[in-house]
Amino acid sequence: MWLIEYKDLIQVLTISNLKIKYQSSVLGFAWSLINPLFMMIILYIVFSGIFKISEKQFAIYILIGIVTWRFFTSATNLGMISIVSQPGLVKKIFFPREILVFSSVLSCLISSLLEFAVLFCILIALQVSISWSILLYPLIILIFFGIAYAFSLGLSSLFVYYRDLNQIWDVLLQAGFFLCPIVYPITVIPEKYLALYMLNPLTVIMEIFRDILLNGIFPPLWDVMYISLWGLFLLIIGHYLFSRLKIRFAEEV
Amino acid sequence: MTRPSDDKEAPHAAIVVDHVSKKFRIPLEKKYTVYQHLFGIFKGGYYSYNEFLALDDISFTVNHGESFGIIGPNGSGKSTLLKLIGGILYPDKGYTRAYGRIAPFIELGVGFHPELTARENIFLYGSILGLKKDQIREKYDEILSFSELKQFENMKIKNFSSGMTARLAFATAIQTDPDILLIDEMLAVGDEEFNYKVVEKINEMKEREVTILFVSHALRLVQQYCSRTLLLSKGKIIQIGETSQVIEKYLQITREHQ
Repeated sequence: MWLIEYKDLIQVLTISNLKIKYQSSVLGFAWSLINPLFMMIILYIVFSGIFKISEKQFAIYILIGIVTWRFFTSATNLGMISIVSQPGLVKKIFFPREILVFSSVLSCLISSLLEFAVLFCILIALQVSISWSILLYPLIILIFFGIAYAFSLGLSSLFVYYRDLNQIWDVLLQAGFFLCPIVYPITVIPEKYLALYMLNPLTVIMEIFRDILLNGIFPPLWDVMYISLWGLFLLIIGHYLFSRLKIRFAEEV
Repeated sequence: MTRPSDDKEAPHAAIVVDHVSKKFRIPLEKKYTVYQHLFGIFKGGYYSYNEFLALDDISFTVNHGESFGIIGPNGSGKSTLLKLIGGILYPDKGYTRAYGRIAPFIELGVGFHPELTARENIFLYGSILGLKKDQIREKYDEILSFSELKQFENMKIKNFSSGMTARLAFATAIQTDPDILLIDEMLAVGDEEFNYKVVEKINEMKEREVTILFVSHALRLVQQYCSRTLLLSKGKIIQIGETSQVIEKYLQITREHQ
């Protein structure tokens, strides 16, 4: 299994990704903390007005949504270009190509974990009660990582052949931002659409994060199983696509 | 695809290439975008590409410890063959096998990142070539002294000259301690003094019975290094055998073309 055999390469590539990302900006890593906080403030001001909610809980609600969403967008965006942006490696050196995708998504996960750490500090500062349910966090983030990696596998291999996929994905992400409960409470969804709305695995993940971080309760077991099944299903699809398409990577990048 | 050794067909073979053919697709209209692809389906031109047969039914075996040359005019499929053996390209027919650890010296330094320092790049490139971090740490000083770049350890690669980059790449790559070395036109990376060190290092590997596959236009070097040589032209094997005879054949067909 390449995951174990090439663990040193994965580690070095992930760290290099992070170094390159942060060292070219003046504030470096601070940006990934400032950015979601500013977004939270703006969105809170706008949407608490729209939904007539003015409690501080809603700000945290939005922040959890943003941090969750940011991991998904940054991971899939970086994952998608991970093959095409390394033509030299893909054309000249043999190693499992999945490693390029995996280490890109992993470096986004590390950025995201730091954002979650800041979120956690804010929770403590605002004296939101922390419960045992937080122990589920590593499991949920692992499943979420699997889903983002699966999407990236599919996207990166298709992007080699379809170079405007990033434009399409951009539009889909825009739509996804409003299809997920990030800036509005789920109660605004009409009853008859609710079942359909809850099919979205990202919605379920956000709800689980809010349960364990904000509400301090254990999420329904079925929800955790539901996203695990999605993760498994997407990994199979992503892996299948990638292994079919990787055969001509070296000719097409 | 390169597969690990498992069979008994040739006990002292290092590389087996068996009836390998490789086609490249050359699109008539390059359809790179989803929009153009969808449009192409409606026009009925979805599969509009020509096929170019880069390698046609190639078979040969390289023995363990042998230095084997591949020569031929431009576009004859030499580099494609090397990439198939290195596992970078996949054959359409046939298979290639390599028995042992391959070091692909197809192009040096492709894993380097300009924004990282020499130190960081040694670790990055070393891991890409399959070294473990402990191994790199162990060889780190040797790499720096061989490349004569000790005082530039913490400088970013983007400020390196191309000669310095190539030296660093070569010094890192030789540390992979391979069983099989694939070389594609790389023996002119630095000044005379460094080239001498490169030649010396390759001689040393030859003595250690490292199998060397050497693709070059420098016939003098092929003659010097390789006992057997393969002549390719337009994707087909013209001749395979003792180096000086093959080179003679090559010069002969070159003269005929003129």
